[in-house]
Amino acid sequence: MKKTLALLLTVLMLLPLAACAQPAPAAEEAPAAAATQAPAATEAPAKQDITLTFMASQDWVQDAELALAEKFTQETGIKVDYQIVPSDQYPNLLQTKLNSGECTDIFCSQAGRFDIVTTLNVAKNAVDLSAESWVSTMEATAAAEVTADGKVYGQPMQDTSAVWAIAYNKKIFTDLGLAIPKNWAEFTAVCDAVLASGVTPIYEPVSDGWHQVLWFAELGAAYDKAEPGLVDALNTNTKKFVDSAIMKTAIDQIKEMADKGYWGDNYMADVYADQAAKMASGEYAMSLANQGLPQQVADLNAGLTADDIGFFVMPIADNQMLNVNPVGPTRFVYSGSKNIDAAKQYLAFLAQPENLQYMVDNVPKFQNLPFSGITPKYAGTVKEFYDMYAEKGTVLQTSVKYVNPQWMEIGKEIVSVIQGTEDDVTMLGNIDKNRADQATAAQDAAW
Amino acid sequence: MTKNRHYPTYFLFGTLLLYVVLYLLPGILGIGYSFTDWTAYSDQVHFLGYDHMFDNYVKAFSDAKYFGYLGNTLLFTFVTTIVKNGVGLALAVLLTKQVKLLNFHRAVLYIPAVLSALIVGMIFKSILNPAQGLLNSTLKIFGIKGLKWLTDPKIAFWSVMGVDIWKGMGYIMTIFIAGILSISPTYYEAAQIDGASGWQQFRAITLPMLAPTMTVTTVLNVIYGLRVFDMVYALTNGGPGFATEVLYTGIYKEFGFGRYAMGTTLSSIMFVFMALIGFFLIRAMNRNEVEE
Repeated sequence: MKKTLALLLTVLMLLPLAACAQPAPAAEEAPAAAATQAPAATEAPAKQDITLTFMASQDWVQDAELALAEKFTQETGIKVDYQIVPSDQYPNLLQTKLNSGECTDIFCSQAGRFDIVTTLNVAKNAVDLSAESWVSTMEATAAAEVTADGKVYGQPMQDTSAVWAIAYNKKIFTDLGLAIPKNWAEFTAVCDAVLASGVTPIYEPVSDGWHQVLWFAELGAAYDKAEPGLVDALNTNTKKFVDSAIMKTAIDQIKEMADKGYWGDNYMADVYADQAAKMASGEYAMSLANQGLPQQVADLNAGLTADDIGFFVMPIADNQMLNVNPVGPTRFVYSGSKNIDAAKQYLAFLAQPENLQYMVDNVPKFQNLPFSGITPKYAGTVKEFYDMYAEKGTVLQTSVKYVNPQWMEIGKEIVSVIQGTEDDVTMLGNIDKNRADQATAAQDAAW
Repeated sequence: MTKNRHYPTYFLFGTLLLYVVLYLLPGILGIGYSFTDWTAYSDQVHFLGYDHMFDNYVKAFSDAKYFGYLGNTLLFTFVTTIVKNGVGLALAVLLTKQVKLLNFHRAVLYIPAVLSALIVGMIFKSILNPAQGLLNSTLKIFGIKGLKWLTDPKIAFWSVMGVDIWKGMGYIMTIFIAGILSISPTYYEAAQIDGASGWQQFRAITLPMLAPTMTVTTVLNVIYGLRVFDMVYALTNGGPGFATEVLYTGIYKEFGFGRYAMGTTLSSIMFVFMALIGFFLIRAMNRNEVEE
């Protein structure tokens, strides 16, 4: 009798464990929306009681998207719960969630034809979206970067036509009689002149962990031009980062900017979210930004118009090529989601031409989105910038394998170099080591 | 084997089963996985083979990066244990005297211990911002130029330790207060009759009588220090560069990169390390007690 009782007790104690394994239906959490009581139009579909979870890095989700999410909820009853994560923690958190099988219904990540396979393992972690109607409206260059094995897995969420270039305050340049620099020597001369006038030359937000990497990685095409065949050699593992003299030059010049005070005194604690405000304040003359910045600056400072902010390419390592990247933050539907159909429905809603246009019209930093049927809003100053450079080339993180997944790590390496705790050779060697680790894990035949 | 014991042995089974399933089994499995090539990029997990079974451990001990993490972890443990014990004890002695608003003071000092480390981290990240932070702005009023608390690699780790000490000392203080209150007042009365000074009473009565409490707080602090993660993660995320990286942020990153085998290897090293330190620490401190 006693033994039976003990056994029963043990079973009872273990029950909660079994219960833990049963995932609670997400729908339970969503309160029955009052919307179900709303006078439904005759053609409106039945409202669903679902809450979609959505995870993205800071700065990836725009207010306009949140407004669209509300509209979507009104139309369908499906709620979207946005979880925004600080950008320095996002890649690790996303990988941990994917690897532990506990990701949100929709997750966002940087795309790229190599990375979606090696890092995100989309074949396992994401839902094939090829059959969705919006796929055919995606621009071919952008579509190629969210496609693996002929299947489309992602939906680009940002303007991929934008280029990371140096935005400069034209008024400050005119007052000091400065012209757009065409090489590194001219660039340092410009920075020295700005510094001497009491203005900090460059706003560089290092605190977020990712921005400083742009100075290095965006120049992939310039490296390949200086050392022909470099990109292919890196992908076939016949050459290493540490073997590249031009990359060492780039790293040294990035350190030089910080050392000479071009980034100001507080760059280690500066944040990307303040970029437009800092440029609008006139405290800084330049910042590495994309083409949405002029409008953001104009919105913050009545004394400046969007055309008062111009652009030129980063003259690091004497680069004079336009650095293009058809890849950006992208939405994916998680394969383990219980709400795949609702998630697909939400992506289809976001890709409707009127909603895409709404994003372009209401997000200052978006000039365009990589879908057909939208009217872009390129400002005069942006057109002028794009026309200035005859040569174009793809950025390192898209053209070379196993670079993008270690973006934040490269950010830390750059900080270590700037602070003198590491040199350029060690840094490039560490990038090689991380690439080798990942390639080996991915059983890449070239490693 | 005695007949008049209170409970039958099988009462133990339920607890034992839970303990084995929830603690022992995952622990042993974790150590087991450290001898494999487990990663997120492959569905297959292979044993590394008898010739190469320690490859992950060799890699962990031959990589300078991990040594840096280990060094930081030990420094953190050493400094925070000593300071938290010292300050905690001093506060406990003060707050067991006749002080006005005694419980209020105790509560104020204890509150940080209840807060989540992530929240404390976020708040201090803002307070310690070199340009707009509360601390440097206040210092500026007095004409003092503030430091780059969390962004200068020479200072950042000390700032992290400082915040952690601030958060943890109230908890240690509370344990010491309990210890002090359990000392019989007759000792102090006798000492006072003999004309012992306050310091003499502290050294000859309070300190020795608190030895068991000290063992507890030290072990708690050491184990906490070795396992520190959230405070570093929230304040600096291991930065600037890799200056404040500790073992657990390193392990977290390994898992983030999908290098599970390496993550479990580092965890296993930590497990052995902590078990050894804990074992010897408790033994050493208990021996001292007996001698006294």
